[in-house]
Amino acid sequence: MDNIKEKISAMYDGELNSSEIDELIEIVNNNKDMQKQLSLYSLINVAVNQGSSKLKQKIVNKDSFKKFLSNVWLSNGLTAAATVLLTLTFINYSNFSRLNENIDSTNQISSAINSKEAQLIAQRSEEYITDHVMKVLNDPNYMNSSSRIDLRNVGFNHNKSNDFSYTKGKEKFQLRIENKDFGLKKVRYWKHGNKMIYLIPIENGKVVTLYGNISLTSAVEIAKSLDR
Amino acid sequence: MKVNSRDIDSELIKKAKKGNHGAFNILMNKYYPRVYASIFSFIKSKEDSEDLSQQTFIKVWQQLDTFRGDSAFFTWVYRIAINLAKNYVTSSGFKKQKINTSIQEAEIDISSFNDIESAVIHNESLEEISYFIDSLPESLKTAFVLRESEGKSYEEIATITETPIGTVRSRIFRARESIVDFIEKEITNNG
Repeated sequence: MDNIKEKISAMYDGELNSSEIDELIEIVNNNKDMQKQLSLYSLINVAVNQGSSKLKQKIVNKDSFKKFLSNVWLSNGLTAAATVLLTLTFINYSNFSRLNENIDSTNQISSAINSKEAQLIAQRSEEYITDHVMKVLNDPNYMNSSSRIDLRNVGFNHNKSNDFSYTKGKEKFQLRIENKDFGLKKVRYWKHGNKMIYLIPIENGKVVTLYGNISLTSAVEIAKSLDR
Repeated sequence: MKVNSRDIDSELIKKAKKGNHGAFNILMNKYYPRVYASIFSFIKSKEDSEDLSQQTFIKVWQQLDTFRGDSAFFTWVYRIAINLAKNYVTSSGFKKQKINTSIQEAEIDISSFNDIESAVIHNESLEEISYFIDSLPESLKTAFVLRESEGKSYEEIATITETPIGTVRSRIFRARESIVDFIEKEITNNG
């Protein structure tokens, strides 16, 4: 029985020999326990994802921001399993004036977001962002922006290969600028595999997307340079 | 021949399109919890999330022929789920919409899922699971986290941990089994 369960585990990971699939379909469909097993593996994936996001919510505040940054790879590490169930992390970045907040505006925002209309708008924005992030992840050409941006002032060189990336040392990323802001007022970022996706609002209601092996600090520095 | 996760899904979809309910059931078992969690995060109602998850898979089954494989299967399923949830939320007065198509008509079995989700997703167990994973023996935890969180292939994990692929496969399985045991004993029973 464990041998079958191990095969289910391997199938879940896409590590099964294709010749074994038919046999496993037959077994799984005639055995409720095996179906439950497969479902539980998926549930573990959800739990790994969502469980750690709750932990992260406790961490995110300005005072612990530096500590949070130093742990970000670890805390995000447990959240990356599901491609689409990307755990959203909101941050305030105190060195980036656009992202600062004050009490008055916070109160206004608090009352505004309680309106039903605002909630509907937020839900729609969330869908646009989700669609955008899914394209970043699933469409290899989506981030191949044809317009080259000079980022040498922040130390990044454009890669001449076909992947339209920018590099500095070990950091390598692709960049794309949207002429819409998705309703974003703060940096949002996700971890997918060993790469990061950052959505950073810049001037004129635009949003810059950075995808690759790049730190939050570098991503924000690049966004600031685009704002100048 | 070894295939990757997306290829396995493609194989299962191909078989399901030919009417193989077994292949579709595997896809559904594989993705139902993720669909459920997505919908629940959107509408925050257990009962409605169950209804909408079921409705999602009924639609998926009915529209499977239109899936062209341009995106990952789950991406496509997720869009259907979120569209249903969005329509539900924006419908007048959040009125409960009953499923138009019966589960029997769709010839798929969804009954076995809901108890597990109730126990895990609707209480504070998610953090407990995270802590439990952290307490796993180092060799199991490393293989499991590299796979589940970092998306590494078994071959990559074998290289990183300098162990045979068979051992990697076994460790990941044993980690999952430990977590399943934990969920069943510590969470489902206490839920």
